[in-house]
Amino acid sequence: MTHVTDLSSAYENLRLELRRGCLALAVLAALRSEQYGYSLRKILADRGMAIDENTLYPLLRRLETQGLLVSEWREEDKRNKRFYRLSPDGKSILKQLLAEWRSINDSLAAIL
Amino acid sequence: MDLLDRYLHAVKFWLPKAQRQDIVSELSEDIRSQIEDKEAELGRPLTEADVEAILIRVGRPVLVANRYLPQRHLIGPALYPIYVFVLKIVTACYLVPWILVGIGLMLYSPGYRAAHGGGWVGALGAVWGGFWLTTLVAVGAVTVVFATLERGASKPGFLETWSPRKLPPVRDPNRISRADSIMELVANIVFASWWVLFMSSPIVLDRPDIRITLAPVWVYFFWGYLMTAAANVALGGMNLLRPNWTRAKAGFRLATNLCGSALFCTLTQSDILLNISLAPGSTADGQAIAAAINMWASRALPFAIGIGLVVLAVDIRRLVRVKAA
Repeated sequence: MTHVTDLSSAYENLRLELRRGCLALAVLAALRSEQYGYSLRKILADRGMAIDENTLYPLLRRLETQGLLVSEWREEDKRNKRFYRLSPDGKSILKQLLAEWRSINDSLAAIL
Repeated sequence: MDLLDRYLHAVKFWLPKAQRQDIVSELSEDIRSQIEDKEAELGRPLTEADVEAILIRVGRPVLVANRYLPQRHLIGPALYPIYVFVLKIVTACYLVPWILVGIGLMLYSPGYRAAHGGGWVGALGAVWGGFWLTTLVAVGAVTVVFATLERGASKPGFLETWSPRKLPPVRDPNRISRADSIMELVANIVFASWWVLFMSSPIVLDRPDIRITLAPVWVYFFWGYLMTAAANVALGGMNLLRPNWTRAKAGFRLATNLCGSALFCTLTQSDILLNISLAPGSTADGQAIAAAINMWASRALPFAIGIGLVVLAVDIRRLVRVKAA
């Protein structure tokens, strides 16, 4: 029973590790068009990359601090929302990251 | 929305002042959107229990706030293994001997018990309280040093400037160095020679002005120590020829050290000084001096036990290691 629990916990940790690296890429790619936090979450969830609010918002802040995103508060549907989009630097980094991701993907495909 | 406002207020409390409003506004917008979506899905306004379920899923306020804060640590992953290693050394070389000596004093020193209320309870309280205070100070001091190193300017240099050439060579723990064996042989031969030459008679000093006589029980200690030294010489010789620990040799070392420790502990309690005779006309009282020396020797018992236990622990660890190999 303990062995099964350990295996399941090991799988969960590895799965989260694998996803963590992909999330930043998914967020950057999704922000090629402007989104606010909740709409971004829904887009990602619809495409099979569900992300909870406690992961997304700190990540958005970090990416904005790094200069990869720009944001502004605007009123929409009578509520203030913060809209994010890629900065020019973000676009350049996304391009490089996508190339890297494709290279990793090709390597993995060759290994598998 | 009272529940949501209370929740956001609690999250706000843990956030840095500069970002507080910004983070809470964004989180508030997200949760309100979730509530609206849920209401649309159910076709009715949410009850307090529904909102509670959403907030529980979002997470405890302090944990939610923590995700927005930079990752902080007192001692980082680079220094942590060294920190644990130093704590182990402090425990083995300072805290364990401290508690052993404390227990020894409590058990065998009436003076110590008298100084702490005269009973076992007072002495136990003094040892226990002193041990925790000592542990707190020792662990606290090590932690403060490492926390300072973690933040210090010297850290990057220390961790990044290194060479594999300076790493210590891999040592086989079961290998006995020839230098150690030679040292052991020489030390035990010198000791045994001195012992036979100067300690074989119970009259250890016989001069016109002073004569020191040991109790008849000395003969047991004389032969006991001589045999222990002879055993150590034999073991040293064997170690020199075959420089590896085996179960038999590790067991033999444990036995000789056990004998040596037991002899020493017994010696402290044996009133070994029978008499000190002084020259006629001396104002000093030889019997009183002998009694005083015996008393102070008996008070050394806790330290003798403490040292003996440390030595035996090392021997037992070696024996276990050899058995496991």
